Amino acid sequence: MVELEFEKIKGESKEFFATAFGLLILVLWGLYGFLYTYTKGPWVTGMTNQIPWGLPQVTIVYLIGASAGSLIISALGGVFDKEEYKVFSRLAAYLAALMIIGALLVIFVDLGKPEHAFNLFFHFNFRSIFAWNAFLYSSYLLIIVVYLIAQFERKETLVKVLAFLAVAWAVLVHSGTGGIVGFIYSMELWHSPLTPPLFIISAIASGIGIMIPLLVITFKYTNRELDINLVKGLAKIMGAMIITLLYCFTVEHLTRGYVPGNSEALHMTLFEAPFGTVFWFIQIFVGMIIPLALLIYPKTFNSVKWICVASILLAIGVFAERYTLIVPGLSYSKEILPGMVVESVPPFVKGASYVPGWTEVAMVVGVFALIFLLFMVGLKIFDLLPKIEEVEEVAE
Amino acid sequence: MKINRREFLKITGAATLVLATDSIADVLSNSDFIEALPAEKGGIEGKRWGMLVDVEKCTKAASQGCRKCVEACRKENNIPVLDDPRRTPEWIKIVKVKNEFDDSKELYVPLLCNHCEHAPCVQVCPTQASFRRKDGIVLIDSHRCIGCRYCMVACPYNARNWNFKDSLEMLKEINPEVPRRSHGVVEKCTFCFHRVDKAVEEGKNPVPACVEACPEKALVFGDLNDPNSEISKMIKESRVYRLREYLGTEPSVYYKNLR
Repeated sequence: MVELEFEKIKGESKEFFATAFGLLILVLWGLYGFLYTYTKGPWVTGMTNQIPWGLPQVTIVYLIGASAGSLIISALGGVFDKEEYKVFSRLAAYLAALMIIGALLVIFVDLGKPEHAFNLFFHFNFRSIFAWNAFLYSSYLLIIVVYLIAQFERKETLVKVLAFLAVAWAVLVHSGTGGIVGFIYSMELWHSPLTPPLFIISAIASGIGIMIPLLVITFKYTNRELDINLVKGLAKIMGAMIITLLYCFTVEHLTRGYVPGNSEALHMTLFEAPFGTVFWFIQIFVGMIIPLALLIYPKTFNSVKWICVASILLAIGVFAERYTLIVPGLSYSKEILPGMVVESVPPFVKGASYVPGWTEVAMVVGVFALIFLLFMVGLKIFDLLPKIEEVEEVAE
Repeated sequence: MKINRREFLKITGAATLVLATDSIADVLSNSDFIEALPAEKGGIEGKRWGMLVDVEKCTKAASQGCRKCVEACRKENNIPVLDDPRRTPEWIKIVKVKNEFDDSKELYVPLLCNHCEHAPCVQVCPTQASFRRKDGIVLIDSHRCIGCRYCMVACPYNARNWNFKDSLEMLKEINPEVPRRSHGVVEKCTFCFHRVDKAVEEGKNPVPACVEACPEKALVFGDLNDPNSEISKMIKESRVYRLREYLGTEPSVYYKNLR
């Protein structure tokens, strides 16, 4: 067996620095957004007492999912003895680490009192799934770091053991995140035992969705050859995830919709603007049906470019999925007085709108930019990419 | 300059540590007395404070525009009115409802924190900042609250508010008796625990500000564990409801004539 060699990139081109600089500006914008919110209070955000969770929470769930998915993909090589997947196992694990760091960062900057955050570890509440997640996320990050170091140091047995642990922990972490939403019994649109498994499937879908284009772009710009069969292998898993997701949505909405009392809430989520539009158009049609069609149609399935398009669309679709899960549940005000027609509960209304403030957008964009920036920096300082074989280097 | 992997890890590790110790120091040094913990964290064992709301009596006054309880609560607990009603804290609010089967009948229902026995907010709070005292009052330790708003999401009664702005900046008069809440933390009705504690110490019956202000005596406050208290007797004598009882949260606020 030929030992796979890894190396750093030089990263000395003008384009490299220009991209890094652009990302840095976005990071600084996010930092400014955070400091602005922190000093002025949450007044500057788009959130209200009825919708206290918005864009930051959607992003947190998304990033944790994408991280878990990325790590599961990374560990495929180790867990299923797929040698060919080891080409990107370091890259995917590194990306997983960056995305969980990004998620933790969004959690932190979104807190009303970030300076109190360490109470999470001083006053642990065993009955809170949120507290359990604080433990799960930090241990998860630690496992990824050790897993990466073991790969760098080429401790093969340790890598294999850690690959198993990493997959198990990724499943735990994202099931826990699903629990944050699914355990909430005060809202019919949130309370569901299906949320944790649904989150795992979404995680793998979005993890691959982000991984494929990033892999293709990185390999292209560093003049590395990427085996199309590898991309197709990942795309097949992605396709399976889309089908499973569509199945889960159907099961969940039918089960919920069967309860006459839920009809009004479901109608708002599925058939009224803006949630219905986001659900049918972005999440289902653009985010899942089109990617699935692209993966089924042989012509597009045999093209790396089209697979990339499908991946990006799916990554967007899963983001929409997180949105249609979190925001409508809050937007449909809780029925506190059953049997009563509420004439006025200002300020709580059915179908409350949520428009994120600029600070939330800045913080989220800033964190995404930081993830990509650290990804580029990582390529430069860690041995993440497979070594180029001299003969294959072809000048364009 | 070239940084190798080990050095990189060392630097990031050190940076994290500095940040961590900084935050810990901040938490420990932040012992500002007005923002400190509620002095009596426990309350008295064996008591269970509760409230009975007579919706018929409330409707009589509230339909004429009476909001005395709301005003008294704002004054007592330093609650400002913000420009945006969707972000104004409301510890007690009066909602107008109609009976589904008889829409000629209008009812005005005061809503406040239900001080549940199995409080969802206490369940979900990651830092135990939301807690239930021995006497059944559910409070938020604003010193410990990280402002994650999970409790607001979990509360079945929408009783909780996020502090969008620092309240003291917007108030003309400030009641020094209640703990200060800075922006970013979550707050809600406390059953006027400062009044309760004071009254208990003096051997009197405690009266929260809203109960005191009600001209119709639609609100009754007392010890649910004492069979001889006014509230216990009234609950025994009349048909009472608790909100969303099927959830099993066991609220301490009872409603009479809510039909």
